[in-house]
Amino acid sequence: MPGIKGACNYMKQHWDIFCKVVDNYGDIGVAWRLARQLVAEHGLAVRLWVDNLQAFTPLCPEADPRLARQWQAGVQVRHWAPKWVATDMPAVVIEAFGCKLPPGYVTALHAQAGRTLWLNLEYLSAEAWVGGCHGLPSHGGPGYQKSFFFPGFRPDTGGLLRERDLLAQRRGFQAAERAAFLARLGVAPAEGALLCSLFAYENPGLAAWLQAMASGACPVHLLVPQGRIQGELAAWLGEVPQVGQPYRRGALAVQPLPFVAQSDYDRLLWACDFNAVRGEDSFVRAQWAGRPLLWHIYPQEEDAHRIKLEAFLELYLAGLDAPARQALGGLHRAWNFGGNMGLAWQGLVAHRAELTAHAEHWCASLAARPDLATALVQFYRNWL
Amino acid sequence: MKTGKELKPGTVLRIDNDPWLVQKAEFTKSGRNSAIMKTKLKNLLTGYKTETVYSADDKLDDVILDRKEATLSFISGDSYTFMDTTDYTMYELNAEDIEAVLPYVEEGMTDICEAVFFEDRLVSVELPTTISRQVDYTENSARGDTSGKVMKPAKLKNGTTLQVADFIEIGEFIDIDTRDGSFKGRTK
Repeated sequence: MPGIKGACNYMKQHWDIFCKVVDNYGDIGVAWRLARQLVAEHGLAVRLWVDNLQAFTPLCPEADPRLARQWQAGVQVRHWAPKWVATDMPAVVIEAFGCKLPPGYVTALHAQAGRTLWLNLEYLSAEAWVGGCHGLPSHGGPGYQKSFFFPGFRPDTGGLLRERDLLAQRRGFQAAERAAFLARLGVAPAEGALLCSLFAYENPGLAAWLQAMASGACPVHLLVPQGRIQGELAAWLGEVPQVGQPYRRGALAVQPLPFVAQSDYDRLLWACDFNAVRGEDSFVRAQWAGRPLLWHIYPQEEDAHRIKLEAFLELYLAGLDAPARQALGGLHRAWNFGGNMGLAWQGLVAHRAELTAHAEHWCASLAARPDLATALVQFYRNWL
Repeated sequence: MKTGKELKPGTVLRIDNDPWLVQKAEFTKSGRNSAIMKTKLKNLLTGYKTETVYSADDKLDDVILDRKEATLSFISGDSYTFMDTTDYTMYELNAEDIEAVLPYVEEGMTDICEAVFFEDRLVSVELPTTISRQVDYTENSARGDTSGKVMKPAKLKNGTTLQVADFIEIGEFIDIDTRDGSFKGRTK
């Protein structure tokens, strides 16, 4: 309830996170995860300012989008209303993805002359230039500056969001809880079927991929949480699929699922043998699942996403034998740029075992670096 | 006002009432169609240098500068002397001041440059968008390609290396876009 936990947080260091929902769940997904982790693992009092609480509730079903202020998972969730009302200033403010702080808030930052660290949390990219920009200041208005904080895969970046016990939880789940979780979702894959998940933007390559799975030798059970790919899925099935019901086509069973909260989406990724993900948040979570993945990157003007995809593939595929590298790289290029998904999928299935071992290795190598929330806290300590 | 995207070497920003010269500006696409500009700035009063990042749509106070036509007169070590083409005044800059255009500066060049002045002091020099330079060395054409799509490295007289079309040979003059260092074609 508003106010009660706030009283408990009285002596804690106070951070603000501002997030504007753009067109998907990526921005708010990252901001919500970060807020919870800063509270749970770093003992901070965090206010998460969200301009669109309707978009927040699918990620946090307990939230009430009508409330201007509420507590969720120890985070004070505030509605970022168009008309800004003055508030107390924090030790740190994070402007998620260049969302532009309210002018009144910026004025207050200027007025208190450098007592608040102002960070712009940027988008994730695997490109090499990120390391050269990470942590740099942005001298702007009078008497004040903010710093750019870049998440990333390379050691010279801010790292990736990863809760302290995430991998232990995942391994425990995969060892003992997977079957019960799938049963709770009403998922009963056939013996020996490859269990896959699909979360993507609209993609004209879907029909060819589904067809390849349906006519393949390897049985596949595909779980599709609600999202933007539903229209193309319905078109291929020839009917509007009902959530929870499996639809069988040859060797393929397609089962739409409801949109699940972040914790359950993690478990879904952990439960599957292969995950197709999109954007930024689900993309990172799929890497912590330690399973091969297919990334549908956010499409950008002038094909800027092509360079970003190749930068990730260059890092991710390093260490794989050439045939497996070509198989997974080929599948990514086909999915994102309109190649032959049928052929690409066959290539991936042939190298499944090697790609699964590689995904675990990749996950472990990323986990050896500091996580994003810890890096943010350390950045603040260095700034003081 | 200038936006972050409009920053380029030679721009002078006013930050906390101090003039800061943009010595280098690198534009990069970030996520979701946003972009950033990484810059190298020099405080024109103190000489202090720093690197910064701006969002492409950040709004920044810039200083209106005087500009005059100038040509390179001579190079001596790290010192580059330019001459005002109207009154023949000589101005000296060091290599760091013209870092962004340095790959295209060479002895004997005749390009009409734009000398940028802040309070009567030369702070930077801008080259024309297109310049012509002679190729000092490049391998022979590997495939006999004439389309211009196959590229190979080539070295200019000052040591700068860039990608040129496969059909370019040693001694030929090529056009270069100084904004990004790209090869534009054979000089006509």
